[in-house]
Amino acid sequence: MNKIILALDKIKEEIDDTIEVELSKKQTFAGVNTLKIKALKDTDLEIIYEEDEIKYDIYVELLPKINVNIYEQKQKGSYKLSYHYNLNELSKANIYKVNDAKKIKESITINLNGKEAKASFLLKTISKNEEKYDIMVYHKASQTESCIITNGVNIKKGKLEFNVSGFVPKGIKECIVNQNNRIINLTDEVSQIRPNLFIDENNVIANHSAHIGKCNENEMFYLMSRGITAKNAENLIVKGFLTSGLEYYKQLMEKIINKYWN
Amino acid sequence: MDSLKIENLTVTVNNKIILKDFNLEIKSGEIHAIMGPNGTGKSTLTKVIMGDPTYKIKKGKIFLNNQDITKMPVDQRARLGIFLGMQLPYEIEGVSNADFLRTALRSKDENFKLYSFIKELDQKVKDLKMNPDMIHRGINEGFSGGERKKNEILQMHILKPKIVLLDEIDSGLDVDSLKIVGNSVMDYYKEKKPAILLVTHYQRLLDYIKPDFVHVMDCGHIVKSGDASLVKEIEKFGYDKIKKSSETKLEETKINE
Repeated sequence: MNKIILALDKIKEEIDDTIEVELSKKQTFAGVNTLKIKALKDTDLEIIYEEDEIKYDIYVELLPKINVNIYEQKQKGSYKLSYHYNLNELSKANIYKVNDAKKIKESITINLNGKEAKASFLLKTISKNEEKYDIMVYHKASQTESCIITNGVNIKKGKLEFNVSGFVPKGIKECIVNQNNRIINLTDEVSQIRPNLFIDENNVIANHSAHIGKCNENEMFYLMSRGITAKNAENLIVKGFLTSGLEYYKQLMEKIINKYWN
Repeated sequence: MDSLKIENLTVTVNNKIILKDFNLEIKSGEIHAIMGPNGTGKSTLTKVIMGDPTYKIKKGKIFLNNQDITKMPVDQRARLGIFLGMQLPYEIEGVSNADFLRTALRSKDENFKLYSFIKELDQKVKDLKMNPDMIHRGINEGFSGGERKKNEILQMHILKPKIVLLDEIDSGLDVDSLKIVGNSVMDYYKEKKPAILLVTHYQRLLDYIKPDFVHVMDCGHIVKSGDASLVKEIEKFGYDKIKKSSETKLEETKINE
């Protein structure tokens, strides 16, 4: 597993020859560092963000036919990040994000540039403050696939905003565009999901869903009908929701969950 | 001796009367089968006994061992020993069956023995011919209809209820699974002598679970009760004849809540 630890003005790398990493300090007008990662071979990469106020532009490029698993965790800090994933022909990126931060604003652009490029994206976040995620997926070649799953739970003063957009222009055929967005809101704050599909081509499979609410009443009834108290039923549902789909980060997420739900 | 008594129960959902002046008493060691056409309130009855907040009780009371449980929350009823095997058991992502059952047992008894639980769980999984992996999978996640029903019966064995409500536990089961589920319910009955109330449309389940009492429901209440021979009568003549012989009729009254 390659590892990059990002702090305010420095990075720590533990990488092999499967990736190249380049850090450019504060080159943009806004004084934001730029990190460029190029995947040369099939690999796994973990990016850990330190407890800082971190602003970065991050570019990730996958060469043709390269498969990469990217794992990211952010805990305790405030983060303002802009991601640009560029996937070439027949490449595949599986992106897993686990967030437990003070505050987050992320802009994520996924460009599926080459034929049969595939991106899957799974976000799990526990929001205690404002968090905003703008995710844009551009299908720029035929037979490309995207699957975006955003899952968040609001606690304390948590307030989530998911804006997820998939784009398929005319002539880009046989694409699969899926997105599934869900927020369990355990606060009185208002959250938003905008699940957009901008598709100008008929030969496409596309699905999108958005759900914001408390814990599902039927699920609560089922658990409580086995003698589980309402509080414990809610804890089980939230834990299940936040850990489902995670393997590498399952234990980390369980540890985070235990901080808030006993 | 445990008893569940339902007195003059009238229940509505979305302002429509589903149960009307419903009366029934079931006791330990008794098996009651409720039959009847679709939409007559059979499933509603089981959910109302369990305490599903979707349904509004307009009138009447439910007693468990003379304790009024009409307004008692679902989880408390369950801890007192009521169990509902559901017609459509819900799927809950990410919550494993094992965690779920462990939490349920701990809710009843904080000092429950983990080793005994694991041992019993393994045995019951074998008895029910379930895939052992299912225990570690999310609750009913990716389960077939039959597997879900077996999972309900597995939960019954582990939680050891005094009052067992089974809502169409036979639907979605193939003939072999029906036999396994039917025999498993009877094994539990022989061992614990609970009161059982089962809702079914078909005689085939009653080949394995022999009822002491059979009730036919229509328009929100019981229109005829009898012994197991009533099942044969239903098979032979259908519900219409039984309904006609009853003078009861429920007006589908809209009421203001």
